[in-house]
Amino acid sequence: MSQNTFQIKAGLAQMLKGGVIMDVVNAEQAKIAEQAGACAVMALERIPADMRNSGQVCRMSDPQMIKEIMATVSIPVMAKCRIGHFVEAQVLEALEIDYIDESEVLTQADRLHHIKKDVFKVPFVCGARNLGEALRRIAEGAAMLRTKGEAGTGDISEAVNHINLIQGQIAHALALTTDEEVEAYAKELNVSLVLLKQLIADKGKFPVVNFAAGGVATPSDAALCMQMGCDGVFVGSGIFKSKNPAKLAKAIVNAVTHYNDPVKLLEYSTDLGELMFGVSVAELKPEQMLSTRGY
Amino acid sequence: MTELKHITIGVLALQGAFVEHIRHLANAIKNGQYEEYHFSFPQVKTPEELATCDALIIPGGESTAMSLIAERTGMLSPLMDFINLEKPVWGTCAGLIFLAKQCVNGKEGQHFLGGMDIEVTRNAFGRQMDSFIADLDFSDFIDGVNMFPTTFIRAPVVSKLLDPPGAIHKRDTEASIIYSKNTYCNPHKVQVLKLLEDRNGFIVAVRQGNKLGTSFHPELSADSRFHKWFVDEFVLGKSY
Repeated sequence: MSQNTFQIKAGLAQMLKGGVIMDVVNAEQAKIAEQAGACAVMALERIPADMRNSGQVCRMSDPQMIKEIMATVSIPVMAKCRIGHFVEAQVLEALEIDYIDESEVLTQADRLHHIKKDVFKVPFVCGARNLGEALRRIAEGAAMLRTKGEAGTGDISEAVNHINLIQGQIAHALALTTDEEVEAYAKELNVSLVLLKQLIADKGKFPVVNFAAGGVATPSDAALCMQMGCDGVFVGSGIFKSKNPAKLAKAIVNAVTHYNDPVKLLEYSTDLGELMFGVSVAELKPEQMLSTRGY
Repeated sequence: MTELKHITIGVLALQGAFVEHIRHLANAIKNGQYEEYHFSFPQVKTPEELATCDALIIPGGESTAMSLIAERTGMLSPLMDFINLEKPVWGTCAGLIFLAKQCVNGKEGQHFLGGMDIEVTRNAFGRQMDSFIADLDFSDFIDGVNMFPTTFIRAPVVSKLLDPPGAIHKRDTEASIIYSKNTYCNPHKVQVLKLLEDRNGFIVAVRQGNKLGTSFHPELSADSRFHKWFVDEFVLGKSY
């Protein structure tokens, strides 16, 4: 029997499809998320909105906190390590975490390299802004992708932007007619020719699932990403920065299931109370953007 | 020309890997054996969609999420009614959990459809790091399938067959058992189809009449023979 195979890693992500993965900072929030119907939780010390404001170095969370969350809920628990910080990843693997997010939300540890993920037994999810990043992460062994969006803003525009960009680039790749063109495009994207050819052979379908992330704050945001073709949704700051987290969490879970039914979405969107404050991405300076971390 | 028989096999699409099942169903009926039938394999999210189905597959996913969404969106009673109408149902992984009469390691507020007289234990092998792939021999019940690639992901197992059927088993020592509220009594006997000798003898596939439960995910393999068997044996009630 083999355990360290891609299918097991990517398979768990397939089981998360049509679901919502919620950021939580303690066991109490994890419980609320689970009871709302989250298909997994992301354990972290501070939610992105707070990290964004802190101006500090953001690292992997204290394993003690992650352990408490793992002991509290029975759904999969994910945790973040810094981009390129393979030792944080080793520590999380030793903790037997279910999924690692190599995340731009934390301060980058390596400005040039991402973690070589295929040598780990634990599966990884990674963010991508464009097809180049997506295929490079897959080449490194990522078993799940998510859009980067712009975490901690409550502004969905960057996630939408990344979804559109990736889909546009896939369409471009599928329209290429000669081997030379495909080769040139692989060069332009700085990705492996083999992976690009595989993507084209698979009619543009990634070998891993692709979730939306970064800026999802409402049931409609979540349904928008689903209608645009994402397999599921990460919600970070949106839920626990709102006035009624339990209610909003349930509404977003319902919205991801019934993303194509406006009458139901109307019901889920109604009377949610005050939502997270939100920061418009257009107002951010380039150095304040988290999604530009990584390459 | 004789009229085609319409057969609708729905896949519950509240959360999880439902698309994979639909793909396999479509693949399973591709050869020429099914000329007298017209199949459809819809995603099922609402009571109206469920009402069109002759049979149902409950996919893998997160069993707590699936149960909570079913409850909140008014699907719990229709799903129990579907079972009570003696329609064929197959649950994989989270679907197996959902089909059970009782569950160890379930969560407060989690519901069970009670279609099979079994107790399931969630996450019986451990966390994701304990997930595995195994080639299993199913030739005892599926002709010629002696090497089938099965994926176990944070998988549940059948930890007890409830005997006599329909009885619930209170265990004083384990407070964490949650029981189905469905009073349905499956008229058939539970059959163990597969257990893993090298892993505590864990039971990973069971059948009770036209209900089928598997701990593993045939839908994650590239092999559609398990789905073909479900269609032939459970839905059409004949072997080719």
